[in-house]
Amino acid sequence: MSDDTTISEATITTTSEHPTFATTDPSAEEAITTTTTTASETLSADSLSKYQSSIQSLSSIIPSIPSSSLSSSSSNPALSLLHHRQTASQISSLLRQPDSGAGDNNLCRWLYDTFQSGDPSLQLVVLRFIPIISGVYLSRVPLRKPLAGFEAVLLALYAHETTSRAGQPITVNVPDLSHPSLYHESIAPTKNNATALNLAVISPSLEPHGTVRSTRRARIVGVALELYYSRIYQMPSGSKIEFCEFCRVWAGQDGDNKKEEGRIPLPWELLQPMLRILGHCLMGSSCRRKEDSREVLEAAIGACKCLHTRSMHDINAKAILATGSLLRLGKMVLEANDDHALNDPTEISMSNVISI
Amino acid sequence: MESEEYEAGMVVREFCANGVCMKATEVEAKLDEGNIQEAESSLREGLSLNFEEARALLGKLEYQRGNVEGALRVFDGIDLQTAIKRLQPSLAEKPPSKKGKSRPESQHTVSQHAASLVLEAIYLKAKSLQKLGRVTEAAEECKSVLNAVEKIFHQGIPDVQVDNRLQETVCQAVELLPELWMQAGNFHEAISAYRRSLLSHWNLDNDCCTRIQKSFAVFLLYSGVEAGPPSLGVQIDSSYVPKNNLEEAILLLMILMRKFYLGKTKWDPSLIEHLTFALSSCNQTLVLAKQFEEVIPGVIHRVERWNSLALCYSGAGQNKAALNLLRKSVHKHEQPDDIMALLLAARICTEDFQLGAEGVGYARRAISNAKGTNEHLKGVGLRMLGLCLGKQAKVSSSDFERSRLQSEALKSLDEAIVLEPNNSDLVFDLGVLYAEHRNLSAALRFAKQFIDETGGSLLKGWRLLALVLSAQQRFSEAEVVTDAALDETAKWDQGPLLRLKAKLKISRSQPMDAIETYRYLLALVQAQRKSFGPFTVTPQIEDDKVDEYEVWHGLANLYSSLSHVKDAEICLEKVRQLKQYSAEALHTEGVMLQGRGETPEALSIYINALLLEPCYVPCQILVGALMSKMGSKALPVARSMLSDALRLDPTNRKAWYYLGLVHRDDGRMADAIDCFQAASMLEESDPIENFSSLH
Repeated sequence: MSDDTTISEATITTTSEHPTFATTDPSAEEAITTTTTTASETLSADSLSKYQSSIQSLSSIIPSIPSSSLSSSSSNPALSLLHHRQTASQISSLLRQPDSGAGDNNLCRWLYDTFQSGDPSLQLVVLRFIPIISGVYLSRVPLRKPLAGFEAVLLALYAHETTSRAGQPITVNVPDLSHPSLYHESIAPTKNNATALNLAVISPSLEPHGTVRSTRRARIVGVALELYYSRIYQMPSGSKIEFCEFCRVWAGQDGDNKKEEGRIPLPWELLQPMLRILGHCLMGSSCRRKEDSREVLEAAIGACKCLHTRSMHDINAKAILATGSLLRLGKMVLEANDDHALNDPTEISMSNVISI
Repeated sequence: MESEEYEAGMVVREFCANGVCMKATEVEAKLDEGNIQEAESSLREGLSLNFEEARALLGKLEYQRGNVEGALRVFDGIDLQTAIKRLQPSLAEKPPSKKGKSRPESQHTVSQHAASLVLEAIYLKAKSLQKLGRVTEAAEECKSVLNAVEKIFHQGIPDVQVDNRLQETVCQAVELLPELWMQAGNFHEAISAYRRSLLSHWNLDNDCCTRIQKSFAVFLLYSGVEAGPPSLGVQIDSSYVPKNNLEEAILLLMILMRKFYLGKTKWDPSLIEHLTFALSSCNQTLVLAKQFEEVIPGVIHRVERWNSLALCYSGAGQNKAALNLLRKSVHKHEQPDDIMALLLAARICTEDFQLGAEGVGYARRAISNAKGTNEHLKGVGLRMLGLCLGKQAKVSSSDFERSRLQSEALKSLDEAIVLEPNNSDLVFDLGVLYAEHRNLSAALRFAKQFIDETGGSLLKGWRLLALVLSAQQRFSEAEVVTDAALDETAKWDQGPLLRLKAKLKISRSQPMDAIETYRYLLALVQAQRKSFGPFTVTPQIEDDKVDEYEVWHGLANLYSSLSHVKDAEICLEKVRQLKQYSAEALHTEGVMLQGRGETPEALSIYINALLLEPCYVPCQILVGALMSKMGSKALPVARSMLSDALRLDPTNRKAWYYLGLVHRDDGRMADAIDCFQAASMLEESDPIENFSSLH
């Protein structure tokens, strides 16, 4: 039987640390009891105290914290935290440190507790760092570093999504123009309902997972990215740019074919939410501030190029289609950016004769 | 110089109304002095206008001069809301059904004229506010234009006899409103503005409607803001109502494509790109294929269209259709050097033995075209070449040919891994190829590397490692690996691993544990059959889903080997219920008969099995083995049977063994020795499941 152990040690990568904090950490339980005691107060006071305690505990983890978030005068301290660049870069650089994902990492614990507080604004703050958490996490898996801290955060998100969807899949009825719709009429007889609509599964049903099993890892991260996508319009551009950077790392096709660190398998369950986020970064310019959009757009085009190359290397037909079309759309956006001002259909026709 | 420039560059604006024209220079001067009232009165006198008309003209002048703040000051002087109120009753009083035509019509035109004046003024106010960056106020003004139109025209804007300028203002306001809400960051107002634009009767022209539909589709597809389904009010019975962003976006894009086919709009290349992204990212590449097929000829180049269609079909798993299209597009008269098409064609060929040779051709062409910007794809070409050669080797007619192709295949993959050292798929392919080549230590190394690089995330890696270990006869280690893999796998994906485990238990002579494992597997498979809807997670290895039939058959074999005849027969009964004509079931039945000494019956059952499946190797071997014992006359039949089996499965050690017996009995000792040697070598490298099941 001694042979058995050699094999299992040499080849099996499992995380021995327990990936949730709730059972191992007494302070987390404390946090739960405080929320139940304050629940009787008014909602805003409750959230405000949550913000304050969350920001207080963050201040012991990162070097400095904006005074505006600490003062109670700020109308929503959580949102000002979300958009505070300096804080974000401090947290990001801590997350990139070599030992950042361990089970005893304070920042991971803070992210976990903050997400578990259940407050939507505070959850946004955690989601803001999902690109960097999943990015560092997935690239580090082959390196066999302790990752229970990251896994706890990702599992918390997965569990949140599983509960809020009641495990149900997200599906789409792909339209067929032979059926009339609210936007068009159809000559075909409406009685003919035999032509069934195509049912597309955007996200399959969710089973609860207490730990990250390696064959479910991509799915768990994919679901965290789905959650990120559902709030993406509230995300600061820095977060989106970080996401685009990790797409390049994961694709592992940046530049020449030298050995790239961080290349990971990209199964569809991970690639699909990535593509939807990239689609937003590339084409969602109309719903963000002008000065940010250029930077995000360029990062997204770079990420698309890498993922397109990767999908060619994998000869993955669906990914070639999706990334190829995103690349061409990105090019069109760049070309049209200057064009639009000259050709604005909502502008009145200027003429030298002004009449009634 | 200066005067020339004055004449060429500067514009001399004119006011025209009531058949009179006057130069705007004087009025402009007054406005520049900040004297709006004087400017207004000189207009009123010069053109005999009323107060509102004069103000509207002045505002428009300021707007055109780019003085939007001035325009705002002028417009602020008009009480636009009162003006709208004045317009309403005059029209509302007259029900449209009245017969007396002449009078209402003239009044109608007059009112339309007045309405046009007021609405344009509000619209320009909104535009001025937009230019000043006060977008929320601009949106409110713009919205009031639309509200006013709805109040003035209860039945929607009439298609005929509508004032041109009024219609133009309405179209512009309809188009501007959602844009303003977006600029203001108020996405929910933007969504309802879009829907209002598209669902109310504004009598929009085609281009305007197309622009709004496209801009809404883009918003729905990429904004990340969930719009929610449209209100019940606009839903019509039996018509399709999109219930989320993606559905609504795809619907609008399809409608836009159809508009183009009907000649109503110009071709917009971004439409097909949006559709491609939307449909491929939700796995609906077959629907996308239909869209590509519907594009009228002359818009997309035919090769481009074939390639896109091939990607669509391949994305939906219809590789035969994809390959047929690719054969057209890489034909020498089309685009024989298109590397993407060549690589896709080669990859499709790796899935079928019969296509191996064809795939080799595509892969070679891809490699020779991997130059310049495509140089990075050389490794991919080499990988495809290796895989296709490996397939081709399996159907080659001679041993010599086979071993030549196999070593060429290995050479290609080795070259590929130099170019793509961190391509984990390649590592896996090498592991499988070395395993099939029975270079088990190399196979083991690649299997471990694959699990390391993928973090154990892929089931096939675990299976490869377990099979290689089993081929090395290290069954207990193989079981440790299988157990570890089971730990890393969610319940529904465990089927292939449990099957492996049961077989390992049999190899370790633990039949009772094997039965237990099979029982558990059976429960899993049955539960899966009941709860597997179309929405559940698809297993990682889709082709390798364990089915009930397989489990019953495995159990039947196991019981039969334990001589539990009754149990074996119950299992076989189940097998037959699931698949009436099954060579596998007949095989097990024959083995049981043979075990009881009923040789002729067994032989006839084996022959029946071969009639069902002429290439079923286990029965070929058994027939060969039985024939070899029937005297010298039967030996040639036995020999051809066994040679046939070896052609299909060259690493089958039983076939080599019995062929050795035939040679010995026929007196060909040297051949017999070769065969026995092959059999004994293979015995030490036989996996418990065929390596080719990993592909």
